[in-house]
Amino acid sequence: MPCTSHRLSFRATRWIPAAIAGVLLFGCTEVKEQPQSAGPADVGGTMVVATPAEPGSILPGLYSTSIERQVTDLLFDRLAEIGDGLNSIGDKGFRPQLAARWEWAPDSLSIVFHLDPRARWHDGQPVRASDVRYSVNLIKDPSFGSPMASSTMNVDSVSVRDSLTAVAYFKRHTPEQFFDLVYQVSIVPEHILGNTPPAQLKTAEVARRGIGSGRFRLAKWEQGKSLTLVADTLNYRGRPKLDRIVYSLSLDFNSAVARLFSGDADFFEQLRPENMAKLATDTSLRALPYPSLQHTFLALNTIDPAHPGQPNPIFGDRVVRRALTMAVDRQGMLRNVFGAMAHPSYGPFPRYLGVADTTLPQLPYDTLKARALLDSAGWVPGPDGVRIRNGQRLAFGITTTVSSASRKQYSVLLQEAFKRIGAAATVDAVDFAGASTKLQGRSFETALVTFSPDPNVSGVRQAWSSAALGKDGLNYPSYVNPTVDALLDSATLAFDPARARAYSRRAFEIIIEDAPGIWLYEAPTVAGIHKRIHTTGIRADEYWAGMADWWIPASERTPRDRIGLRPAATP
Amino acid sequence: MRRFVAGRLAQAVIVVFLVTTVTFLLVHLAPGDPISVALDKPGVTEAVRQQWRESFGLDRPLGEQYLRWVGNAARGELGWSFSFRRPVRDVIAEALPRTLLLVGLSVVFSFALGIVVAVLQTERPGGHRDRWLGRILLLLYSVPDFWLALVVLLLFAYRVPIFPPSGIVDPVLHDYMSFSGRLADRLRHLVLPVTTLTLLATAAISRHQRSALAEVMPSDWMRTAIAKGLSHRRAVRRHALRNALLPSITLAGLYLPALAAGALFVEKVYSWPGMGLLAANAIVARDYPLITASVLITSVAVAFGALLADVAVAAADPRVRVS
Repeated sequence: MPCTSHRLSFRATRWIPAAIAGVLLFGCTEVKEQPQSAGPADVGGTMVVATPAEPGSILPGLYSTSIERQVTDLLFDRLAEIGDGLNSIGDKGFRPQLAARWEWAPDSLSIVFHLDPRARWHDGQPVRASDVRYSVNLIKDPSFGSPMASSTMNVDSVSVRDSLTAVAYFKRHTPEQFFDLVYQVSIVPEHILGNTPPAQLKTAEVARRGIGSGRFRLAKWEQGKSLTLVADTLNYRGRPKLDRIVYSLSLDFNSAVARLFSGDADFFEQLRPENMAKLATDTSLRALPYPSLQHTFLALNTIDPAHPGQPNPIFGDRVVRRALTMAVDRQGMLRNVFGAMAHPSYGPFPRYLGVADTTLPQLPYDTLKARALLDSAGWVPGPDGVRIRNGQRLAFGITTTVSSASRKQYSVLLQEAFKRIGAAATVDAVDFAGASTKLQGRSFETALVTFSPDPNVSGVRQAWSSAALGKDGLNYPSYVNPTVDALLDSATLAFDPARARAYSRRAFEIIIEDAPGIWLYEAPTVAGIHKRIHTTGIRADEYWAGMADWWIPASERTPRDRIGLRPAATP
Repeated sequence: MRRFVAGRLAQAVIVVFLVTTVTFLLVHLAPGDPISVALDKPGVTEAVRQQWRESFGLDRPLGEQYLRWVGNAARGELGWSFSFRRPVRDVIAEALPRTLLLVGLSVVFSFALGIVVAVLQTERPGGHRDRWLGRILLLLYSVPDFWLALVVLLLFAYRVPIFPPSGIVDPVLHDYMSFSGRLADRLRHLVLPVTTLTLLATAAISRHQRSALAEVMPSDWMRTAIAKGLSHRRAVRRHALRNALLPSITLAGLYLPALAAGALFVEKVYSWPGMGLLAANAIVARDYPLITASVLITSVAVAFGALLADVAVAAADPRVRVS
């Protein structure tokens, strides 16, 4: 690819000053902000959320995209809600939702959940313990095919003690058994869904009705146009501050962003760096940086994609992986692509993960040492400058997705960095489906991978332990280290958060030293939001978790805020 | 004529069958499948993905899947959209009218405008008006559709924000408007995409129409008409135009498929949820049934449009013999 780093630098400099200005002007993170509380007069208003995607399923247990999860979470409640610290060990920090309180059995193999007697479904029926049993059974039913099924494997069963008391039984006492049940299972109404066989719920119209117990209820859903949630004014957890949230549906990123800047929408989830200059000059909008669990790394496949089961002739060698890591100026690339907005990635974890440690020692950026390492491993420069060992050229592909501008920029910068130490990389930009197939089939050499793990230690184990080697796991580099496996197992089984953190830290140190990936960045997660909308604290796993408490002061309302809850006019 | 139409219909059926067959094979040969795209997330086991594939018959041999699809399509069953989680028939039933409205209006406006512009140019060939209109048309003819759409959007939705930038109605206030308010809201959202499509098509139609007019102008019967005292303008409008409409009729037939296929780039820029945008996103999501159904509808429209154009030309011009 002829693109040079100079050209990329030029591209970046166009928006860096504006982006920095935007951050300086508006960048006080909402997490640290202490918002004013809303008064009684501040209840009401409409927030229009522009989305570049269309939800398919809004049935908990079947969602697969971010927008589906977001709508589902606003419509359906869980038994309890994870705390802002995202602690997943035991029940510390969890706040009641449908379960007003809970009690652990002395052997910790069962938990009794006492449901809030005020809880009602949106059709007026009371929420019962049998709904909890039905919801758990549904998720675990193989014919239902829930993407969350594996997370509830430790839940043995749920029994109904009385209409408001459900008892959950677990196979083993584990630190995250409460999290596994409470975080992964939203409670759904048995009286609505129970008459449809689980296998048919994927295609059943009833799964699109969205009757939950959340603080918003589904009012309207028109394909390609909008999905409207309105306040459940009699909700047992209190009426939401906003009257309604309207998802303005679009199938295109730029069109969705255009709706924000034109004033047709009030909120857009994740702006790109190129949108920051416009955001900084828009007097009606502000930037809303929020924490996220997304992180990006270059996965180095340790298995030969051409001969599965055999070590990769290049990346099977730890020395080569370390040399390639040392060839990458990660800070420089970060500034080049994201300016001052993004954060470097410190290892196989996002910063906001409970066990994250950003003080871990890193492999240094040192091209001289990188060259020396390759020399020592027998990789000698060939006639065209590309190193060779035993007839094998130090040449490989970087798989990335065409839809991500930042990842494409990164792949070109990596290409240049590798070239400096005698490695020839080619950029293989494919669409999402193509990249996904390559990753799941482990048929890539290197690949730029971005994902958000579950907010717990198991999330790390899902990606870096031997247990995650197959297609069920996310161990794309096929990285194997028995010590790391043991440490991650110990971390997962530790009931003391400090011990879990210590085990994780040691595992992370080893992974960083083994370099099965080059840790690149945590992309800036900055939403654009209308200034009249006041937000609360934002959780790293779900920025929408507190949306029911976002509010619009009465004095700042626009015509669309003044509609109230009155029904639409008759056509 | 009946034999001609019957023959063309038979050809159309074969073309549609071949196009959909090739599409079906190609989309299945592309890397990835709808399940691996939809369920590529942490915690999802291969067993779950496999269960979904089995539920929708994606684990069956390609030939079996194809035969099942042909059988279902013959009965009007177009399958299940993986990306919308709804029957494809329902998804298309919502998108198709939007595209028909958008493209239909632009076809009507562009033909009307294109023919008027061609007549204006022909009335004084080589004059100022002819030359300036020619330059403008050439410019419009040359610019890419997405570029023009972006410029129109930038001008009238941002610089002078008098029209909404995207969508088909106001997502919040539309339902609370009076009937006339709703109509006005819908029209406001139509202005920019229809204008863009109209400008683009007008350039092509006008150039074709002008050439056709230029061909008939030196005809003996035109000279006779003018010699008998008819003004140049009236001769063009009354005689030349009627005799030069054949290329436009053919063009109209060729524009018909766009009514069903949509105008991808314009739909994308204005986020108009029509058939073009639907098909493009279906490809990204590997939504096999939706892709194949979109192609089926488009190929039927192409075949029908071509047939209609031939018949219309034959009906309009007795000199054209159909066989």
